[in-house]
Amino acid sequence: MSVPGMTETTEAVARARAGDADAWGELYRDFAPAIFRFCRRALPTREDAEDATMEIFMKLRDKLSQYDETRSFSAWLYRVAANHCWDILRRRKIRQDKETEDVDDVPLEHPDPNQLDRLIEQKTNEEVRQALHKLGARARMALVLRYYSDMSYDEIADELGVRRAFVGVVLLRARHELRQALEGKSALAAGGTS
Amino acid sequence: MSEPANPVSPEAPGGMTDHLDEMTCLLYAERQLDRARAQAVSAHTQDCAACRTLLRALDRESRLLTRAMLEADEPLPSRLAEFQERARKSFGWIWGVVFGLAATGVYALYTYLVEPWQTRLEDAGFGGTSLLSLLVFQGAFWKGWQSVVTLLEVLAMLTVAGFGVVIFRRRLRRGSALALVLAGLCAALVLPATARATEFHKTEGAYELSKDETVKSDLFVTCARGRIDGTVEGDLFFFGQSVEISGHIKGDAIIFAGSARISGQVDGNVRSAANNVTITGSVGKNFLTFNEVVNLDSAGKVGGSLTAFAESVGVDGHLGRDLVVFDDQTIISGTIEGEIQARGRSMSIGSSAQVGGPIHYRGDNPASVASGAKLASPVEFTKAVHKSEYTEGHYYVWRVIWTAAFVLFGMVLFLLLPKFAEETVSAGERVGAPLGLGVLVFFGVPIAAIIACVTVVGIPLGILTLGLWMLAINTAEIVVGTAVGNWILGKTNDTWGLIGRMAMGFTLVRVVYTPLAHLHVIGALVGLGIWMWGMGAIALALYNRLQPRVSSSSTGVPVATAS
Repeated sequence: MSVPGMTETTEAVARARAGDADAWGELYRDFAPAIFRFCRRALPTREDAEDATMEIFMKLRDKLSQYDETRSFSAWLYRVAANHCWDILRRRKIRQDKETEDVDDVPLEHPDPNQLDRLIEQKTNEEVRQALHKLGARARMALVLRYYSDMSYDEIADELGVRRAFVGVVLLRARHELRQALEGKSALAAGGTS
Repeated sequence: MSEPANPVSPEAPGGMTDHLDEMTCLLYAERQLDRARAQAVSAHTQDCAACRTLLRALDRESRLLTRAMLEADEPLPSRLAEFQERARKSFGWIWGVVFGLAATGVYALYTYLVEPWQTRLEDAGFGGTSLLSLLVFQGAFWKGWQSVVTLLEVLAMLTVAGFGVVIFRRRLRRGSALALVLAGLCAALVLPATARATEFHKTEGAYELSKDETVKSDLFVTCARGRIDGTVEGDLFFFGQSVEISGHIKGDAIIFAGSARISGQVDGNVRSAANNVTITGSVGKNFLTFNEVVNLDSAGKVGGSLTAFAESVGVDGHLGRDLVVFDDQTIISGTIEGEIQARGRSMSIGSSAQVGGPIHYRGDNPASVASGAKLASPVEFTKAVHKSEYTEGHYYVWRVIWTAAFVLFGMVLFLLLPKFAEETVSAGERVGAPLGLGVLVFFGVPIAAIIACVTVVGIPLGILTLGLWMLAINTAEIVVGTAVGNWILGKTNDTWGLIGRMAMGFTLVRVVYTPLAHLHVIGALVGLGIWMWGMGAIALALYNRLQPRVSSSSTGVPVATAS
């Protein structure tokens, strides 16, 4: 998994593991903005994101010894962050989306591609971010893991605790919710006919 | 992978009028279809413009999502920028303060609690050059409480060194810091040793300092059998099977031996751990011993006090001051000019005995006093009651009730202030920092409150502060219990999860602490540690809460840009 916007700082990681405070500061400086942004996308409020970022880095300090240096540090860091955020959401019991893994619930119709195209054309990044916060916790988390952290379906399944085959369903439902939030029209969300 | 939905087959009846369903398109766009199905979808989209458009739209939607999420719309909040600095700096600073305050706390305890007892302890035989000697032979136990001051001085010196390391740590790597600390320790070990030279003798056989020989320094002897007929102008340290001191020791005699006999003269104190010790000569100051049998012979004389932890103690000779004994059997036939403090099974005072002070005896049986004994006052006997409170059932019932009450109290606090409780416990899990801060709060807050009370205007503030301090003390064990619970069960942010961990951890702390509480010094130290730890965690959480939140736009921390 590659993470955009982040430079692998293997040397800093090694030094931080050895207890070098400056290296720890370096890691924090490099990764905190991205982790904060991750938390901001995944969690409901800015305060939550700030708290979570701090907690993740505190946790990271303890867990740094467990990091396998042969793997990508940023990918590992995102896993830690995702675990933490998902724990927070799960414990607050604010999951609003469906818990069922019933695949029949996914619309199989062919949505109107032109209508979808127009919607995408019209919406700004800011509007998408605002709409994202109207989604249920799992839907939002699934989208963040996939399109922010670039996690694979296997990793998403692992994080969200669902079957791998169900990840696509979660993502599609999340997209539908997002379209609903963006447009408020059920046709696109439910999949309009061609 | 097996897809959850059966996509509409491109080859389904209806030909080109049938379209791919959205699920299939999404999985295709995300490269999650197996090869065969991906080829089928690809072939279909060659001829189907609608599906091609849908695929393109889904792909654009993915890119829009990625772009919107990765866009650096908000800089890192100042609070998080400060957190970085705090995270880097706090530990070194706090650890420096920890040692400094710990030394101050110990000194305060010494001044206000230990010192008042000093004279009495010296009466009981505790009256009294390098750090090695200081720690090994000249600690409070061996050489008197004056040495504690010296020990504090050493601690203070190490604290200063610690501060130095903290200040210069940017320029130091771990190895050099370690070297500096070791060098400092070595210096501390060596420097005080300049006061006096020392003579060492080690042999597997016998050692003898003949009558006409004089050692003008301290003398360390390790041998099977030792005989000191000559003169030692410093202290004598003896380790061996047996020793007889028939010469003259001008300093102290520290003896670890199977048997020891002092028929000569020791001007200072005698400290011994041996099977049996007999004094037929004279000891100028005090005599402290851990022995099986102690005998102050009729010809023997101790100028100061005799303190003995032994099986049997016999005093036939002359004792200048008090007798303090913890033994099975005490037999007194000689003269004791001071008082007697005794705990044991039996005490026998012979007809030739003379005791100048009161006699306090706590034991299983009353003292047997011969008719001719000359006592300043009758023996004050207290029957020893071996049944302690913790051997009685109601003690444990009350412990359980109190534990439940504290858990309930903690639960109410956690429900009233869930976020703060979480922050406090989180702060408590760091251990080092809260302990350091706890020392400061534990000692500093009451002093500040009392000072506030001295000024009339500050009385309400002082009383309020003291009240909060008392509340913090009572809450400390709950915080520590929750931190322990978190360590065992894993961290949680859920309030009820936290309460569960608090209940379990608190109970565990109580179970462990209850037996320890009966060990006077250890119990007190553990109790203090728990209080300081918990109070420090509360203080740290408050400190974090009171940190100003500067506008996020003012941060200078670079933001990683999305690519």
